[in-house]
Amino acid sequence: MNMLEIKDLTKDFGGLRAVDSLDLSIGTGEILGLIGPNGAGKSTVFNCVAGLFPPSSGEITFDGRRINGVKPWNLCKAGLARTFQIVKPFATKSVLFNVMVGAFAVTDNTDEARERAIEVLDFLHLKKRMDMRAGNLTIADRKRLEIARALATGPKLLLLDEVMAGLRPTEVDEVIAIIRELKGRGMTIFVIEHIMRAIMALSDRLVVIQFGRKICEGEPEAVACDENVIKAYLGEDYAAS
Amino acid sequence: MTPSRFKKILLILAVVLAFGLPLVLRSPTYLHILIMLFLFAYMTTTWNLVGGFAGVLPLGHSVFVGIGAYTSTMLWLQWGISPWIGMIVGGLIAAAVGTLIGLPTLKMRGAYFALATMAFVEGIRVMVENIDKLGPFVLNGPRGLNIPPLPEGSLAAFQFASKEPYYYIILIMLLLVVGLTWRISRSKMGYLLMAGGEEPDAAQALGVNVTRYKVMAMALSSFLTALAGTFIAQLTLFIYPKSVLTLDLSFELAFIALIGGRGSIAGPILGALLLRPVSEFSRIYLSATLPGLHLIILGAILILVMLYQPRGLQEPITRFFDRLAARFGNGNGGTEEKA
Repeated sequence: MNMLEIKDLTKDFGGLRAVDSLDLSIGTGEILGLIGPNGAGKSTVFNCVAGLFPPSSGEITFDGRRINGVKPWNLCKAGLARTFQIVKPFATKSVLFNVMVGAFAVTDNTDEARERAIEVLDFLHLKKRMDMRAGNLTIADRKRLEIARALATGPKLLLLDEVMAGLRPTEVDEVIAIIRELKGRGMTIFVIEHIMRAIMALSDRLVVIQFGRKICEGEPEAVACDENVIKAYLGEDYAAS
Repeated sequence: MTPSRFKKILLILAVVLAFGLPLVLRSPTYLHILIMLFLFAYMTTTWNLVGGFAGVLPLGHSVFVGIGAYTSTMLWLQWGISPWIGMIVGGLIAAAVGTLIGLPTLKMRGAYFALATMAFVEGIRVMVENIDKLGPFVLNGPRGLNIPPLPEGSLAAFQFASKEPYYYIILIMLLLVVGLTWRISRSKMGYLLMAGGEEPDAAQALGVNVTRYKVMAMALSSFLTALAGTFIAQLTLFIYPKSVLTLDLSFELAFIALIGGRGSIAGPILGALLLRPVSEFSRIYLSATLPGLHLIILGAILILVMLYQPRGLQEPITRFFDRLAARFGNGNGGTEEKA
């Protein structure tokens, strides 16, 4: 069964069609990459799936259940977690506090939440920073904190919105290793990423969108050679004709 | 002795001192000032449940003080129901009103909640000032309600001949509400409230129904604030719209919390401790020539605090005590500071 099914999804903002009749599905345990030029509508797709915006039309099914218009907090409890492209830490609170908020999605007990949060922080190599104020973290650590909080909610499907943007190459490798480890644990992952090296290495399948429409879908190698994709990224002149 | 042990001892000493003070301090005037100090510490602590933890700025909390004061007083005058019971009834009505105000306004971001609460308290004040009788209840409009004093006092009637019982009642109320706030700040509710107050979008993505938690905090805060209203009515035995339903009172609570440090447990208490004397003395010495001066002074202090200590005065004071605790706790001077 597919973990996530998007059928004919359209999202309008006033006169602007950000996502245009998009079809997409992610199998259980799969890593799907979503790429496209700036402004292609990638984050809007995420926001629709995560319940932040209601879709204008179309249908989204998560884990066999229609989730159009379901609120973000209920989706999170159902096992769908996301990170934000522009990180949103609880900046005046400690790193541990940040992750504990996520852990409270699965437990009511403060001690349990703390244990769970520390486990997740350890997995993301953030344990040594757990007493620091989240606002004082470097950008790399903030991105990792976003992942940590999302993981603490115990998701089945994880949406990662550009968690590697702004990281150094070694840091990117670290995050790639973390995401692979998560896949190994059976988690389904939906990634938006601009760093091609990372998305090519990670994804089982890629979907490319431009102006809200899907222009290509397939294995990473095939997509990289696709004429439409090259046009979208580099312009008409670069397409081999 | 560990630093945390030292802090615990200090805290117990402060509580013992607070309980013992009336044995030494016999002057009713000074006792009254202390009662007002604890009363404001209490009201600011309950304000802090919403204004601090939930990250919004309620500027109309006097409406709950008014609801508490009027409910228990009317029940006593009309039907002879003990103010202790009236206190709880007033609290429940306040919680209902707080929920009703909160449901539509706590969804809004920015200043709208603050504006809505301000408008609400002004609306209620004007209404009460213009109503002489509401059904069977006498409100007396702007003239307010007098509770006939019982000279020898009575526990059931919440009236006492001396100041000491009032002192102990408000002290116990304050300790209970501080304890409750402490418990909440360490519970799931506290974490989720603070998270929702700081970054609502992130909190929602992490499974927090932010509005629901804010409304819950609002209901609890309204209930507890109304209890103080009954206390004020029984202490002064005379309430009128301009005494318990004004923006002055609402603003003063917000000022104390912001200056003391909103969102912390010590902040409201420190704020009341430092600022109530300012209000009291400006009222005693200057009310004839410059009424309302205390709000101007508080405003000026607030500007300075926001510029130099945006997290409130509790931060430097807590740091000072931590250092003191480290020094005395280990008994070997400044080594702990560097660690």
